[in-house]
Amino acid sequence: MKIEINNLRFTYPTGLEALRGISLTIEAGEQVAIVGQNGAGKTTLVRHFNGLLQPTVGSVLIGDWDTKKYSVAKLASRVGYVFQNPDEQLFSKDVGTEVRFGPRNLGYSKEKIDELVTRALALTELSNKTETNPYDLSPTWRKMVALASVIAMDTPIVIFDEPTTGQDAVNVARIAHVIAKLRREGKTVVTITHDIDFCAENFERVIALASGQVLLDGPAREILGQEEILAQTYVDPPQLTRLGKKLGFKETVRSQEEFLNSLKNSIDASQSK
Amino acid sequence: MAFINLQNVTYKYPLTKTPVLQNINLQVNEGEFVAVIGPNGAGKSTLCYALAGFVPHFFKGEISGTIEVDGVESSKSTLDEWVLNVGLAFQNPFNQISGAKYTVFEEIAFGLENNGVPREEIRPRVEEAMKMTDISNLADRSPYSLSGGQQQRVALTSILVMKPKLLVLDEPTSQMDPIGTREVFGVVRRMAEGGMTVVMVEHKMEWIANFADRVIALKDGQILLEGKPNEVLTSDVLAENGFGISRYTSTAREAKKRGLWKKENLPVTLDEAVEGFKLG
Amino acid sequence: MHERLSFYVKRNSVIHDLNPLTKVILTLALILIAFTSPWYWTPHLLVLVAIIPLSFIGKVAPEFFRTAIRIILPAAGFLFLMQAFFQPVGDTVIFKFYFLDVTQESLMFAFRNATRVIVMVSAFTFMLLTTHPSELMSDLTRRGLPGQFAYVIISTLQILPQMQAKAQTIISAQRSRGLDTESSFLKRMGSLSPLIGPLVFGSLAEVEERAIAIEARGFTSKKVKTSLHEIPDHSSDKIIRWGLVILVILSIALNLWPS
Repeated sequence: MKIEINNLRFTYPTGLEALRGISLTIEAGEQVAIVGQNGAGKTTLVRHFNGLLQPTVGSVLIGDWDTKKYSVAKLASRVGYVFQNPDEQLFSKDVGTEVRFGPRNLGYSKEKIDELVTRALALTELSNKTETNPYDLSPTWRKMVALASVIAMDTPIVIFDEPTTGQDAVNVARIAHVIAKLRREGKTVVTITHDIDFCAENFERVIALASGQVLLDGPAREILGQEEILAQTYVDPPQLTRLGKKLGFKETVRSQEEFLNSLKNSIDASQSK
Repeated sequence: MAFINLQNVTYKYPLTKTPVLQNINLQVNEGEFVAVIGPNGAGKSTLCYALAGFVPHFFKGEISGTIEVDGVESSKSTLDEWVLNVGLAFQNPFNQISGAKYTVFEEIAFGLENNGVPREEIRPRVEEAMKMTDISNLADRSPYSLSGGQQQRVALTSILVMKPKLLVLDEPTSQMDPIGTREVFGVVRRMAEGGMTVVMVEHKMEWIANFADRVIALKDGQILLEGKPNEVLTSDVLAENGFGISRYTSTAREAKKRGLWKKENLPVTLDEAVEGFKLG
Repeated sequence: MHERLSFYVKRNSVIHDLNPLTKVILTLALILIAFTSPWYWTPHLLVLVAIIPLSFIGKVAPEFFRTAIRIILPAAGFLFLMQAFFQPVGDTVIFKFYFLDVTQESLMFAFRNATRVIVMVSAFTFMLLTTHPSELMSDLTRRGLPGQFAYVIISTLQILPQMQAKAQTIISAQRSRGLDTESSFLKRMGSLSPLIGPLVFGSLAEVEERAIAIEARGFTSKKVKTSLHEIPDHSSDKIIRWGLVILVILSIALNLWPS
C-alpha cells in the first residue's frame, strides 16, 4: 500500500516546528530506512502514518485514506507500528495472548487470528515461548514479542522505530530476517534507524532527515556514499562504504559481497595494467 | 598486586536457577582501560554491578569467591563506602537522573553534596567535570529536557565528578551519535591515562580497538577470551559464539579465504582495513 | 519538553535572599491569620497590604498576577458564588434568584471565605515563585527533616510529569495496535489493562534502576550532606520568623478570647 505525504508541516503545542514541509511518496512494497540525528523529526514523521499525530499543514494519505478522516484504531488495520521500547506495550500474562491482542482488535475471525498468530510467532522464533510471561523473557526476546504482536496484525504497511537499539548481533540478524520476510510478502516497510550498517544491508531506499526536512532521498547506494551531506545530520556512512571510498573504489559498496567484488575488480584492473 | 582482583566469583540472582556469573577470575591493573563485550544475557551488567558493589550489597542472591578493589574486599565493606572509590554509570540515562534536582549543574553536584564535599569545592569540581565531557552549555537546562545522548553525558559526568578510582561503565554511549561516542571514548581514555581504572561494557568494536588496553569477551557468565583488543576482536571464536564483530573483520576474514587479504592479522578499525587491503 | 518543572523564578530580590524556612513560616502565618483573626476585613487587608506588595518586592509580580488571574480568581469566584447562593444564613434578603434567597449575611460570609482561600493559595504561590525547591529541601534536611523524606517529596513532583509522558507513549503504542480508546465507557474500562500493565511493570524496573543510580552517588552516605547553594539564614530571618509566630499567637488569642 502506498504512502503519500504532501507538504507536511507539524508544530508541537510547545511551538517547536518539528516538520518543515515534507513531500514524499512511498510505493507499495518499498523498503525504506529513515536516518538522521536525534531531533531531526524521524519519529514525528512516522507518527503521522497511523494518525498518532495530525498534520498542522498538508496531508498524509495511506492508500486512499486521508489520515485526518480515520481514527488511529481504524488506521491500525493498514499501518502496524512497532514502538522502540517493548516495555511500553506488553501487558498480557503470556506471549500468545499478547500477540493475539492486535488482530483481535481488528476484528478478524478466530480462524484467521489463529493462523496469523501462529505465523507471526514462527517468524519471530517465539513458537516455543507461547505460554511464557513476556516479563520473564530477556529484553531481546521481549523485543521479538513486540515485533510479533504487530506483524500478526497483517497490515500492508509496517513501521519499525529503532528496531536494533540494545540488540546483540544474533538478534539483529533475527530482525533483519523478519524484515526480509515482510519484503517477500510485498509489504511496505518503513524503519527508523541510527544503525547505518543495518540500514545499508537491509534497505533499498534511504531518506535522511535534518531539522524537519528531507536532506537526501534515493536508492541506498547513492545516499549512503554522500559522506559530507550525511555529516550534516551526524550520520557516518556504513563501515564498508567508508572503506571502499578510502580504497578509491569507483562505485559505492554496501555489503560484504559488493565490497569483495569491487576489491577483486580493482585488483584485476591493476594487475592487467 | 592488581587493582581489581576477582577470584572464582560465582553469583546467582534470587529466584533464578542458573548463575549469571560463573567462576570469574579477573585481574586489572591501576590505570588500565578494559572493555567488556558479549551477547545479551552474557552477564556483562551483572559483572558491572559486582565491581560497583551492588552485587551483593544491593541485589541479594548467592555469591561465592572474592571481589577485591584497591586492596579492599567488597564483602567486608559497605555500599556507601564502596561507591566512594567505584563509580557506576549504566545504559538507560533516563533512570539515572536523580529526580531531586532541577538543573544539570545541580544534578552533577548531587553526588558531591551527598558525600559532604565542602561547598567551596563543589562548584569548581562540577565546572571542571562538565568541561571534560563538553556539556557546560547544558548547565541550566532541566535534565529531563535533554535528548538520550545528552542525558548519557550527564550521567557519566555525574560519576566523573566524584573522582572514583575505578570507573565502571555499562554501555555509556548506546544512545549517542558518532561524534558523542568518539568524545566519550576520548574522555575515558584520558581518565585512564590520568590513573583511573576503567571497565566499560561496549558493542562498538572499532572504538574499543582504538581506545581500550584489553578486551574481555563474556559469554554465559564466563570469560571466553581475554587479551589485546586486536587479538580478541578478530578471533574466530567470537564469530562462532554470536558476538557482534566489526564489518572490517568479517569482510577481511572472507577476503582472506579468497586470497584477497594477505596479512596475518585481521583488521578491526578502518585504518587497519585500509592498510591491509592496500597490500592486497 | 518539560523545561520548567517548578514554579520557581530566579530573580534578585530581598525575598529571594530570605531563608526558605522564613518563607514557609511567612506563608503559614498569612494563612493562619487570615483564618483566625476575628476582625472581618483581615483577609482582604492581607491581600492588599501584604501579599500583593510582597510580590512586587520579590520581583515576581507578573508571574504572580498571571497565576492569580488564571487559577486563583476563578477558583475563588466559584467558591464565592456557591457560598453566596447555598449558605442559609441571615434574613436580610437582597435579591431572589428563582427559589434561592441571597442574603446580605451570606454575601458577606462568602466574600470573606473566598478571600481567605485567595490568601491561602496566593501565599503558597508567592512562596513557590520565590523559593528554589532544592534549597527548601536542603534547608529542611539540614534542620532535621529525614533526607529520604525530602527526596520522596521532591522526586515525586519531578517524576509525575515524566510518568504522564510515559503514559502517553503507552496509549499511543496500544492505539497503534487497534485499541479503541475513543469509544464507549464499557469499552474504555476494558482497555485499561493494556494501559496500566506496562505503566506499572515499567515503573517497578525504573524504581530499581533509579535506586541504584542515586546509591552510586552516595545517597545513603552517613556523612553530613553539604549543599551546592549557600542557604542564607541571617539574624534578620530569625527576627522575622519570631515576629510572625507572635502575630499568629496574637491572632489566635484574640479569636479565642474575644474582648
